[in-house]
Amino acid sequence: MAAATSSYIPLAQRNLWTDIQPIPQDDGPNPVVPIMYSEEYRDAMDYFRAVAAAEERSERALELTETVIRLNPAHYTVWQYRMATLLELKKDLKEELQLMNEFAVQNLKSYQVWHHRLLLLTHISPKDPSSEVEYIHQSLLPDPKNYHTWAYLHWLYSHFYTLGRISEKHWQDETQWCEEMLGMDGRNNSAWGWRWYLRVARPEAQNGKDALKHELSYALKAIHLIPHNVSAWNYLRGLLRHFKLPLSPLLPAILPYTIRPSATVPEPSGDFDFPLPSSPLPDDTPLPVPFALEYFGDALLEQNQNMEAGEVFGQLSTQYDKMRAGYWEFRRRDCVEE
Amino acid sequence: MTDTAPAQHTFKRNGHINYFLRCLKALPTAAQSSDSNRITAAFFCISALDLLGALYDKTSEEQRTGWIDWIWSLQAPIGGFRGSTYMTTNNDRTSPAHLPSTYTALLTLAILRAPLDQLNIPGLISFLKSCQAEDGSFSPIPGDNVYPNEGFQSDVRMVYCASVISDIIADVSGINMDRSKVFVHSCKTWEGAYASRPGLIEAQGGTTYCSIATLSVLEKSKSFIGVKETLRWLISRQIGGFQGRPGKLQDVCYSFWCGGAISILGYTNLIDRDADKSFLLSAQFPLGGFGKEPEDYPDPFHSYLALAALSLNHSNSKEAGLGLKDLNVMWNVSEDSARWLKQEINRIKRSQ
Repeated sequence: MAAATSSYIPLAQRNLWTDIQPIPQDDGPNPVVPIMYSEEYRDAMDYFRAVAAAEERSERALELTETVIRLNPAHYTVWQYRMATLLELKKDLKEELQLMNEFAVQNLKSYQVWHHRLLLLTHISPKDPSSEVEYIHQSLLPDPKNYHTWAYLHWLYSHFYTLGRISEKHWQDETQWCEEMLGMDGRNNSAWGWRWYLRVARPEAQNGKDALKHELSYALKAIHLIPHNVSAWNYLRGLLRHFKLPLSPLLPAILPYTIRPSATVPEPSGDFDFPLPSSPLPDDTPLPVPFALEYFGDALLEQNQNMEAGEVFGQLSTQYDKMRAGYWEFRRRDCVEE
Repeated sequence: MTDTAPAQHTFKRNGHINYFLRCLKALPTAAQSSDSNRITAAFFCISALDLLGALYDKTSEEQRTGWIDWIWSLQAPIGGFRGSTYMTTNNDRTSPAHLPSTYTALLTLAILRAPLDQLNIPGLISFLKSCQAEDGSFSPIPGDNVYPNEGFQSDVRMVYCASVISDIIADVSGINMDRSKVFVHSCKTWEGAYASRPGLIEAQGGTTYCSIATLSVLEKSKSFIGVKETLRWLISRQIGGFQGRPGKLQDVCYSFWCGGAISILGYTNLIDRDADKSFLLSAQFPLGGFGKEPEDYPDPFHSYLALAALSLNHSNSKEAGLGLKDLNVMWNVSEDSARWLKQEINRIKRSQ
C-alpha cells in the first residue's frame, strides 16, 4: 500500500548529504494557512535552508534547487539562488537553457521560469537570436494566447534590437510568421497585438502613407473575412486613433454591416480605394454587426451629427448589444445632451 | 418548468465562511506552489471573512492574536515583509522581503486591527526604494547584480503594490512618482487598455486594474488621458461575467479586475449587474468557495476576488441581500478596515 510514497529516499540517507544538518521550517506556534507539504518537498526545503544559510555554491546545491523548483516552480528565492550559483560556478548556461526548454513546457504560466530564461539569454547573448525565436514560435503552437510567451517574444526582439542584432530580414520573417498565426486563427488577439508591434510600434517601423494604407486594408480584409471579429475592429480603430485619422472616409467599407439584410448597400464613390465587403454579404453573417454600428455612430459624432449618432447608440442599447445596454445608453445621452 | 433551478444561484454564505476557515487551518499539497506567498493566501481568507462580516463571530481572539504574531514574524529586519516562514532565517540576502507580500501583510494586519507600533516605516520606505528600477517599475524583491530590478516580473502589478503601500503609509518618498507614472502610461496598448509592461502587445484585465488604480493613487485624479477608450475596452469584456482579454473565456477574477477598474473610473452603473452576479453565483462550489468558472474547484484567490466583485457591484442593491461589507476598491479591502488603517497610521506617526 505505502510502496508508492515510500519509494522516496530521504536526503539524509544519501551519501552526498551526510555532512549537512538540515534546518526544519519554524512556522511558529500559530501558522496561518499551513500547507500540507509532500514528504519530498519538505525534505528538499529542509536541506535548501541549510545550504542557503551557509551560502554554499556547489553542484549539489544546484541539484537541490532543481528538485525544489520542480515541486514549486513559483519559488522565487530558490530560482534566485540557482541563478547566482550557476554564475558563480561558471556553468555552461546553454545546458541550463536546454533544461529550461523541457521545464517551460510544463510551467508556461510561471513568471519565474520566464524571468530565468530572460537572464540566461542576456548572459549567453547569442550573435543571432534566431534559434531562440524559433523555440518560442514552437512553444506558442500548443498555447497560442499564452501571455508570458508573447511577452518574452517581445522582450527578445526589443533586447536584441538594442544590441544591433535584428536585421531587416528578421523583421520580415517575423511579420510573415505573424500573418501565418493570424491565418490559423484570425481571432487571436495576441497575434494582432504582435502585428501592431511589428508594423506600427517597433523601432524603424514603416509609418509612411503607403504603409498605413496597407495596414488599414489588412484590417478591413480581416473584417470582411470574419465580420464579428473584435480584434480586427479594435485594430482598425487603434490605427485611426494612433495616426489621428477620421473614421468617416472608410464608411463605404463599414456601412454594409450596419443594416438589415433586406436593405440596399450604398454604392461607394469612384475614388474609394479600400477593400469592400462582398455584395451581397454571406448569409451566415448575423446583421447588423454591433462593432459596425459603433463605428458608424462615432463617425457621425465626428461630423457633429450628434442626434443621428445618439440614435445609433440607442439602437445598440435597446436591440443589438443588450449586454452593454447601460454603456450604449450612456453614449446616447452623451450625444443628445451636449 | 421550475424544478431545474440550480441550487447554486443562491448565495452560499455559510459555505463560504466555512471554506475560508478551512483554508486558514490547512491548504492541500496542491497549494505547495503558494509556499513563498502564504501571506497572500492568508489575506484572501481573512479579508473574505471580513467582507462576509464573519471574522469576529467565527474566530476567537486567541486565534487572531496568533495570526497577528505570525504576520509580524515575517517583517524583515531591514523593512518590508517576507511571503512566509519558508526560509526560517534572518539572512536578508537569501530571505528577502517581497513587495506583493508586504502589501497583503499590511492589509491583513489592518483587518485584524493589530496595533502597528512595530511597523518599521523607514525600513519599509528604503525597501521600496531598493525595488524600484530605472524605468519606474518595481521588482518583487530588491534588485542585485544577479537579479536586477529590471526584468520580466517588474510590471504594473508591482507598481500597483508599491503605490498602494505608499498610499497606506501616507508617504510617497519610497517611490519616484514621475518615473512610475511614465511607466504605467506607456503600458497602454493599441486597444486603449493596459498591458503588464511598456510596449507589450496586448492589454489584460488584471494589468488594466493595476494601472488604473496606480494612476488614480499617484495622480490623485481620475481624468488621465484616454479614459473613454479604456472604459470602452473594459465594458466590452463583459460576456455575462467578464473575460480578461478579447476571445478568452469568462473567469470570476475578471469580474473584480474589470469591474474594479470600471468602478474606480466611476462607471459601475454601466455594468450589466444581473448577468455578472448570475455568473459569479454559478461559479460557487457546493461546499463553499468559488472556482474560476462553474464546475471548477475553488481556491482562495478566485474565491476572494469573486466575493470582492460581489461586494463591489452588488452590496448596495436591495434585492441582492448578500450582506457583504463595502469594498475599498483601490486598496482591495473592506472600507471599514481601510478607514481603520488610515487612522492607525496617523496614530503611530504622531507617537513616533
